[in-house]
Amino acid sequence: MAEVHVIGQIIGATGFSESSLFCKWGIHTGAAWKLLSGVREGQTQVDTPQVGDMAYWCHPIDLHFATKGLQGWPRLHLQVWSQDSFGRCQLAGYGFCHVPSSPGTHQLDCPTWRPLGSWREQLARAFVGGGPQLLHADTIYSGADRYRLHTAAGGTVRLELGLLLRHFDRYGVEC
Amino acid sequence: MAAANPSIFLLMVNGQVESAQFPEYDDLYCKYCFVYGQDWAPTAGLEEGISQITSKSQDVRRALVWNFPIDVTFKSTNPYGWPQIVLSVYGPDVFGNDVVRGYGAVHVPFSPGRMFVLGTKGPSPCLCQSLHLNCRSSQVTRVCSQGFVTLLLSVVTKDMRKLGYDTGPADTRGVPGPGLPQGVPR
Repeated sequence: MAEVHVIGQIIGATGFSESSLFCKWGIHTGAAWKLLSGVREGQTQVDTPQVGDMAYWCHPIDLHFATKGLQGWPRLHLQVWSQDSFGRCQLAGYGFCHVPSSPGTHQLDCPTWRPLGSWREQLARAFVGGGPQLLHADTIYSGADRYRLHTAAGGTVRLELGLLLRHFDRYGVEC
Repeated sequence: MAAANPSIFLLMVNGQVESAQFPEYDDLYCKYCFVYGQDWAPTAGLEEGISQITSKSQDVRRALVWNFPIDVTFKSTNPYGWPQIVLSVYGPDVFGNDVVRGYGAVHVPFSPGRMFVLGTKGPSPCLCQSLHLNCRSSQVTRVCSQGFVTLLLSVVTKDMRKLGYDTGPADTRGVPGPGLPQGVPR
């Protein structure tokens, strides 16, 4: 079996109108992939930047996969939330990116989007907070039902992911 | 260690904690240490250290320079648990006691080459160092990011290719870290 190590960090987020951001992340893979070590999902701390507008999490990611096939290459999906001074959480954006497929270190910028609701919901969100959220998180990384959504852009999440591949050349796979 | 069929590989890390940018604090020192998984063990060099106390330069850069060396070699059978370098920055408060000013952690790079790095975060009172490095446990922590530390690290590996690992192209140029705020010189 070939092995893949994903070692890196979620550096932070920029371009969001809210401050005090945190990120929930997860990895989705196809059926041929098996997670040998590491956690498949997590949540960063809440960061309120004092210097500049970029929220920094520097959240480590260390995953070890074994795989029998190329289908279902890992996808990292992200939900960025903001937390206000009362402790209430509001969605700031959803985003996903594929884990890079060539070995080495990669800097990734993952754009995010959030669902817009009706004009009433948008008005309520501006005054009271809240706003629509996805019922099923798999819409973040799959294209299946996206045509139903009307969304607006959020900010960008910056990641640095390093990829280590093992035994791919034994199976004739070129990366 | 048999050269024909190695079962372990080596990772040598050298470099320095170069400098820091902390707009609000002065007279800082830093501690570094390495945290790694169960399959890793240091074989040479120092895993941790404490730097000198540095003050901001008088010129327009207002830089805090440590130039503090890092030199350590690890051996391992498994890339999982790849070493992370953890930095803690300390400075005096109004009464002269040392209080923590920020924490940061980053994985050691794994392509041979050099890298710059990394933002640090301000403290919350009961934060302990290992909290950062566990992917699960950061959820309840609130922090404010207050400054940046620049690390220059070079890495050399031995026998990773023989064991079947492909680490990608050697990176001979500096990889820029997260974008620094305006007005902060590289």
